[in-house]
Amino acid sequence: MTDPASLERVRAEFLDELARAASDADLRALRDRYLGRKSGVVTSVMKAVAAAPAGDRPALGRLANELKRDIDARIAERREALAALGSAIPRVDVTLPGRQPLTGRCHPLTQMRERIEEIFLRMGYEVVEGPELEDDYHNFEALNMPADHPARDMQDTLYLAAPVVSESHTATVLRTHTSGMQIRYMQAHQPPVRIVSPGRVYRRDNFDLTHTPMFSQVEGLVVGEGVTLGDLKGTLASFARDFFGPDTAVRFRPSFFPYTEPSAELDVSCFQCGGRGCGVCKRTGWLEVLGSGMVHPAVFEAVGYDPERYTGFAFGMGIERVALLKYGVDDIRQFYEGDLRFLEQFPA
Amino acid sequence: MKIVVPWLRELVEVPVGTPELADTLGLRGFEVAEVDRARDVIDFEITANRPDCQSVIGIAREVSAAFDTPLRPIDAGPVARAAADPATAATVTIEDPVGCPRYVGQVVRVAIGPSPGWLADRLLAAGVRPINNVVDVTNYVLLEIGQPMHAFDLERLAGRAVRVRRARPGETLTTLDGQARTLAPDMLVIADAERPQAIAGVMGGAASEVGDRTRLVLLESACFQAASVRRTSRQLALKTEASIRFERGVDPGAPLVGIERACTLLVRIGAGEPIGQALDRHPAPPAPRAVRLRRARLSGLLGFEIEAADVERILPRLGFTLAREADGWTVGVPTFRGDVTREVDLIEEVGRHVGYDRVPETFPVLDRVQRGLDPRAGWDRLARRVLAGAGAFETMSFAFIERAAAEPFVADEPDTLVAIANPLSEKFAVLRPSLLPGLVDAVGYNRRRERRDARLFETGRCFSTRIAERRRVAFAWTGAAADEHWSGTARAVDFFDARGLVETLCQAFGAAIDCVPAERPYLVAGRTAEVRLASSGTTIGVLGQLSPAVAAARDLPAGDEVYVAELDLEPLGRAAAALADLRVQPLPRHPSVVRDLSLELDERLPAAAVRGTIRQAAPETLASVREFDRYQGTGVPEGRVSLSFRLTFRDPERTLTDAEVQQAMDRIVAAVTAAHGATRR
Repeated sequence: MTDPASLERVRAEFLDELARAASDADLRALRDRYLGRKSGVVTSVMKAVAAAPAGDRPALGRLANELKRDIDARIAERREALAALGSAIPRVDVTLPGRQPLTGRCHPLTQMRERIEEIFLRMGYEVVEGPELEDDYHNFEALNMPADHPARDMQDTLYLAAPVVSESHTATVLRTHTSGMQIRYMQAHQPPVRIVSPGRVYRRDNFDLTHTPMFSQVEGLVVGEGVTLGDLKGTLASFARDFFGPDTAVRFRPSFFPYTEPSAELDVSCFQCGGRGCGVCKRTGWLEVLGSGMVHPAVFEAVGYDPERYTGFAFGMGIERVALLKYGVDDIRQFYEGDLRFLEQFPA
Repeated sequence: MKIVVPWLRELVEVPVGTPELADTLGLRGFEVAEVDRARDVIDFEITANRPDCQSVIGIAREVSAAFDTPLRPIDAGPVARAAADPATAATVTIEDPVGCPRYVGQVVRVAIGPSPGWLADRLLAAGVRPINNVVDVTNYVLLEIGQPMHAFDLERLAGRAVRVRRARPGETLTTLDGQARTLAPDMLVIADAERPQAIAGVMGGAASEVGDRTRLVLLESACFQAASVRRTSRQLALKTEASIRFERGVDPGAPLVGIERACTLLVRIGAGEPIGQALDRHPAPPAPRAVRLRRARLSGLLGFEIEAADVERILPRLGFTLAREADGWTVGVPTFRGDVTREVDLIEEVGRHVGYDRVPETFPVLDRVQRGLDPRAGWDRLARRVLAGAGAFETMSFAFIERAAAEPFVADEPDTLVAIANPLSEKFAVLRPSLLPGLVDAVGYNRRRERRDARLFETGRCFSTRIAERRRVAFAWTGAAADEHWSGTARAVDFFDARGLVETLCQAFGAAIDCVPAERPYLVAGRTAEVRLASSGTTIGVLGQLSPAVAAARDLPAGDEVYVAELDLEPLGRAAAALADLRVQPLPRHPSVVRDLSLELDERLPAAAVRGTIRQAAPETLASVREFDRYQGTGVPEGRVSLSFRLTFRDPERTLTDAEVQQAMDRIVAAVTAAHGATRR
């Protein structure tokens, strides 16, 4: 009844039980069960070896002794491992909240602006910034808006009480758009031109749910030989699909701006309802997001470009408006209050 | 502009229903504000370049081009007149042909009464209140053909004379709205032989108003200079249906049509009979205008091939005349299209009606690499990344603030504030001299909403009369230094949290800084530092605890400690530019030796001074020195402080011996003892 195979079975059973032993107490019980003086499994095996035929006895005895030493060693090893693992190091409640490093956020308008900048940077545009205190020439006159032009009513202006002189110019107004930077850029560079000019702009608009007297814009300008209205449409449609999503439909509608001719507004299909009509798009299925057009020849004449040789397009969009639509913000003032409950909702 | 659709259908064939009509014109440049199905009225937003479309006839021409259908003629006489009679004759004189290029007057014998129902209803649908038959007819003509008209009670005009002239100094006029107005000498008026009776193109006078007892009227149908009307309307803050049209430019060809149309209607409704011929004063009729349109340019600008047939269909429908040329057309511009002066204007007309949906999507050729991001925008980005990464939230505040909020930040030179001439209110009177007022208000805003802990930052421009505008970054930190945690690590923010954030920010720009004790009226004395570049000593900003007085003025509780800092981005940006030339240092191959040095010092002695002495006394092998403990209390005498420094010595070429480090330490101890009366602990 005692043979090498039965010894191996004992070993296998022991290893199985050892694997399940999780505490010191378990190990003590295991030791008693296998190595106990009276009824231990190995003790019984030893007795059986003594009763085996004399010819088998030396070999069996050797195997049995080996088994006994092995069990002894493995229990000891296991005891050490358990000690190292558990009993010496206190437990923690892993369900308690962790200690987070301080984390802040960039403003949602910053995030929007940078997304827009990145798209145009990828399309090979230069991002340029200009002064917020502007002179009448760069803000109006060079943009085909001479004094007494009715189009000046489209942008009610905040004027400085006294001119402010800087190295580059004498400012009299808070810029009503970033187009002044486009004039400055063209005065300093020859075509081809491919720029976007983001920044804050100011208008004497009363506060309401969608207007504040300061807001942010991104404007763009492309000038070269043979630039067409098709190029404008292709560029802005690509931008819209990149920014609003690949399934965005776009629509161009004729419009009027003094500095572009022809002029067009870009509508995108409502990203809330997909164009079926909802509260966000006032049931039209479309959202107006961009003003644009082919640069007016009078603007080229003002900066000394030959309008027969060069054509170009310009566009502009309000970042707040896009952010209002995109995030479902119902009061534009929330962007300017610094309310942490609001700011914390945007992704890091 | 509210367009009554049945009225429109009288002037042009409209082959579709009202909703489709609105959609179609919406895509031709006339944005639809509202469609009133019950009254069958479409409210269009008319852009500033199209005064001709502030009328039913203007929209009718667009319909004609959009659907390729003919216009229907308006019945505009000429009407049979009663013979001229010296007893009713009027005179019309233009004394200022620049302000008034054309003036047409017509004497009409009238029987004042209410308008017939159809006329009154039409005006009401278009949003105009009916008054009496004569005034209603002038308003009807205004809406129909866009020609503003006025009716004077002729018997109230002294000398039955009309003189178009500039106002004289001190002249006054009570306008139809009952307001007595003082006229400025550059305002154009319609005067009789003695005094002004109307402000040209803006509003009539009460004295010559048409009333129930009026028997004779003089109808006015004139053309006034846009800029002159615009100035006057602005000066008087008075906008009317007439002034809106005149300041955008009305059709110099329309005044006579207006008179004939009005007379036709007056006769038709039995309200009056014209007497004698119209008095048409038109000293210098403008020459007919023509603009060249080249086919190549047309297709070249729009980006796709336009058929000649499209041009020859669209432009005549809009009222232009065409003469074919070898490379295109010579286009005669009608008088009502003052906005069309260049070839591009015609290209737009064709493009609009061909439809922007037919414009292909193409890309401009990119033949060179652009420079990418403006470096200054890059500074803003870096500052924002660092501060957001360090736990602060970006805010944006208005660049204009109230004077009282700005003044503490320019206490020494209040004249440098940039004021706005026409602010929305006193709350937005001056441009911010600093980002801090906005941040302080944002802290207060959160505080009033139960948020005691706030770390806020902003990047943006600050303004002064001296430097115009400057880019800055600033933060405000109040409440906890770290988020509350069950393990009890909470601690209130202090000066050194704020200073650490400044250090982290400047490090990101590659700028080492020193903080030097300073004073600012808006910061707590003794807790204020100027931030200077270590390399040049240039002051780039300020750091400290907000003064309780400033905090209280912005409704912050007195007990709140708010730490703020504000830095100029330009010098930081220049420092960052140097990072482009970065070369790495070889890694040390020999072990360093660390020694701690605890000194007992006068508590008023700046740590930087001791650090400086240590550096000076130490050999080149001193790699770093840093304070690691500061203690006052048991064992340290009153007025003294125990300050401990950790010194690290290293030689790039060899391993230092204990003896030489000890020698260095001895020299350092001797130096600080001599310089600062330090004792070693």
